[in-house]
Amino acid sequence: MKRKDWQEGFKIIFPVMLGYIPLGLACGMLLYDSGFSISAILLMSLIVFAGAAQFMAASMVVIGSTAPTIILMVFFLNIRHLLMSSSLSGFFKKSSIPFILLFSHTLADEAYAINYNQFKNHKWTDYQALATNVLAYLTWIVSTTVGGFIGSALTIDITIMNYVLIAMFIALLINQLVSKLFVVVGLVAGLLSVGLMELLHHNIALVIAAILASLFGYLVDKTSEEKKSKEALL
Amino acid sequence: MKLNPWTLILGMAIVTYLPRMLPMLVLSKRTIPETLAKWMSFIPVSIFSALIFSDIFFWSGDLTLDPLTNFKLIPSLLTACVAYYTKSLLISMVVGVTSLSLFIYLN
Repeated sequence: MKRKDWQEGFKIIFPVMLGYIPLGLACGMLLYDSGFSISAILLMSLIVFAGAAQFMAASMVVIGSTAPTIILMVFFLNIRHLLMSSSLSGFFKKSSIPFILLFSHTLADEAYAINYNQFKNHKWTDYQALATNVLAYLTWIVSTTVGGFIGSALTIDITIMNYVLIAMFIALLINQLVSKLFVVVGLVAGLLSVGLMELLHHNIALVIAAILASLFGYLVDKTSEEKKSKEALL
Repeated sequence: MKLNPWTLILGMAIVTYLPRMLPMLVLSKRTIPETLAKWMSFIPVSIFSALIFSDIFFWSGDLTLDPLTNFKLIPSLLTACVAYYTKSLLISMVVGVTSLSLFIYLN
């Protein structure tokens, strides 16, 4: 990897890194409070690296859930990565298998959105994408571990800490709304997720909503294209 | 803590890594049918929308549409507007988090 890859990655991921600092600190503090040692927090960020899942693990340990239950919930929460991983796969046709094994470990929501956008609209290479991911990954590891050291010395409102992540998601979403159809698909996904969440009280609602809404977008797009080609024929 | 943290972390790592790795490993080495590719172009928007909506419309675990009870609603609208006009991730996040903090601490 060249120095330039890191520079390009840094330019694009910098705001996410800044966002990861308060988020990671909050997550580390929460994990420490729920009984994880600092080395366990470090190991978790290193080999799990999933913000939402780590937040969830902390709160489930507090209410006394067993390890299999937590692992199952983490799995459901992470099914969305199946979709992200599939949608990026087309950009890694020339990449080696070890590269893909490494890259996919550092795949996270924020860097995914940024890399997808870069691949789609700019000149972007697999190594630049990896640098982008790794910078976010390192920031997460450091800030969660520091959060563990701070531990319970400080109390910050968890709703606010969680909202750092949501505010980042909102800004990432707005930048993806490139046409009216995308706005409609976004609204369908959002309303479905709220409805299904209220019905199922389970994170799987997110996955179902995302699959249905993207299918809806595909069907609308296909119908309007067929209409256009018919009109062209006439 | 009653459970063994190391087994928990290892289990979490496995169920996190597999969904991230398998599709990319399998799909990147073949040509994706156009239909699938078209469908997948709507995935990012759908996922982010689902993540956001299922969070901001719930307050203490309940569906809450009243912006004076659910303090996340107005800051979210503000964040979206700022993101639309500035195109800046950082400014949007600062506006969102600051406005939510104000809502929470002033009440």
